[in-house]
Amino acid sequence: MKIKIELFGAARDFADDNILELTIENQTNIKGIRENLLNWLKKKHPNNVNYSNIVNNSAFCNENNEIIHDDYLVSKEQKLCIIPPIGGG
Amino acid sequence: MFHCDVVDVAKNKITLEKAQQFIESHKCGASLFFVGTVRDNNNDKMVTGITYDSHDGMVRKSFEEIFTQAIKVLKLEHPVAFVEHAKGYVPLGGISVVIAVACKHRNQVYEFSRYIIEQIKKQTPIWKKEHYLNEDAQWLDGQKVEVKK
Repeated sequence: MKIKIELFGAARDFADDNILELTIENQTNIKGIRENLLNWLKKKHPNNVNYSNIVNNSAFCNENNEIIHDDYLVSKEQKLCIIPPIGGG
Repeated sequence: MFHCDVVDVAKNKITLEKAQQFIESHKCGASLFFVGTVRDNNNDKMVTGITYDSHDGMVRKSFEEIFTQAIKVLKLEHPVAFVEHAKGYVPLGGISVVIAVACKHRNQVYEFSRYIIEQIKKQTPIWKKEHYLNEDAQWLDGQKVEVKK
């Protein structure tokens, strides 16, 4: 199944578009999606350790604007957002 | 009473006049304005502006939660708050955030305003990309978001 990941903050530099599309197994958890995204980055930006660090330090949120933990299962096609470390004000 | 928004500065302005009109209340004997602006240096680099990025839906939700938390933590009666944060490019000296609060007593407004800005920095999904005199730009490091099970 396909999911979309909307990019924010430093993660916007991952791609020209602000949304990535990943193909994942049904019932993949956030931990799996994080690994999938890291693999995508290794192909797209080999040797860019900084991008991997951003993903490893980011949270994800669902379409209800809720921060979701690593065990959260994604069982349908949907859009998630990556939330890198924040710092407004 | 609470107002919050993310303001796309390419289309609209954040103004103190709007904040002042909102927080006027006869139930309150004290009011305070906090204005965040873009300064000209950071980490020994000359800053010319900051681009603010935000997840608008989560930002509004976060502002509402911070307002509710503040009332509980600080035990406020009839508090009034106005919070607007910029989204987009803000040049040197431009306003990035306005927090205007009104409470019954003066000590409460200092605590209330401080609470809101500190929690925004910890909880609210807003990101800064600094632009420098040499035309480089860089996303700033931030605080990792706490994920609860």
